[in-house]
Amino acid sequence: MAFRALLLLPLILVAACQTLPRDAFRLSESALATREMQTREYGSMSDVQILSASTAVLQDLGYAIDEIEEPLGVLSASKRADATSGIKAVGSLAMDGAKCIFSFLRACDGKNYSKLDDVQDIRLTLISRPQLNNENNVIVRITIQRVIWDKKGRLSEQQTVIDDSVYASFFDKMSKAVFLEQEGV
Amino acid sequence: MKNAAVACVLILLAACASNNSVITEGGSQVKVRQIQTRTYDTLDKRDTLRSVLATLQDLGFVIDKADYELATISATKLQDYQIRMTVTVRERNGERLDVRANARFNETPVEDPLAYQDFFAVLDKAMFLTLHNVD
Repeated sequence: MAFRALLLLPLILVAACQTLPRDAFRLSESALATREMQTREYGSMSDVQILSASTAVLQDLGYAIDEIEEPLGVLSASKRADATSGIKAVGSLAMDGAKCIFSFLRACDGKNYSKLDDVQDIRLTLISRPQLNNENNVIVRITIQRVIWDKKGRLSEQQTVIDDSVYASFFDKMSKAVFLEQEGV
Repeated sequence: MKNAAVACVLILLAACASNNSVITEGGSQVKVRQIQTRTYDTLDKRDTLRSVLATLQDLGFVIDKADYELATISATKLQDYQIRMTVTVRERNGERLDVRANARFNETPVEDPLAYQDFFAVLDKAMFLTLHNVD
């Protein structure tokens, strides 16, 4: 027992002493590619028009606007969405069921199901600014983060979204909104 | 056995001391300000704030708050850890701008000068590009 308690000590100390990673404030090797993925250029629009079109897109996608600061072209928004995966849910229910049956009803705790992702909080920042060497163009950059919670409300994962298809899909909708904004629809 | 259990409890208590002292705890104010501040030879507040925003986005932050009048930006980075950062821009003697950044890593303040050096190294480049109109 005493030995077990001693074994716990380093674990407790390690958990209490997570240190800042050395690269936390350094650009990663993929920073340039990520910037390109998250950035688009729009012509013949003011940054205010872009912010207006962006707000409309975010409303279309069910986001709530948390912060908007027009002089700096900053817009932050968030939404809570479903994070469950149908296939994973069926798989973990089957595993829980099998465990329950083979333990002769002694281990029917539904542990696999409770560890499944349940909801996710998505946060997004969009910054628009005039292009430095051509004031008629507006540069828009988006960064997205999400926090995923499991069925028991425990933190499952937190991450910055680095997925080309997500940003491509967003900018596709932006292009349509910009067109509508220009046409005054 | 008892001793080990008592040691465990003491360590836990020390790690989780959640009293009011944390509200105003901190190191030497002058030293902290020095490592968190960089002075730039410009008076363009808007361009400086835009460079700060670009730097934060490059480093993977999402902006929580931004205020042009008060020249203050707060942002969060989420990975296996969480970093919250506030950056302020203030005029110094009507000649230059001071950019001050302070960060918290999970529950602890970032006091490592190297971390701030890294941050300002990225900001330096963004400032250079912005002030020379290069995209």
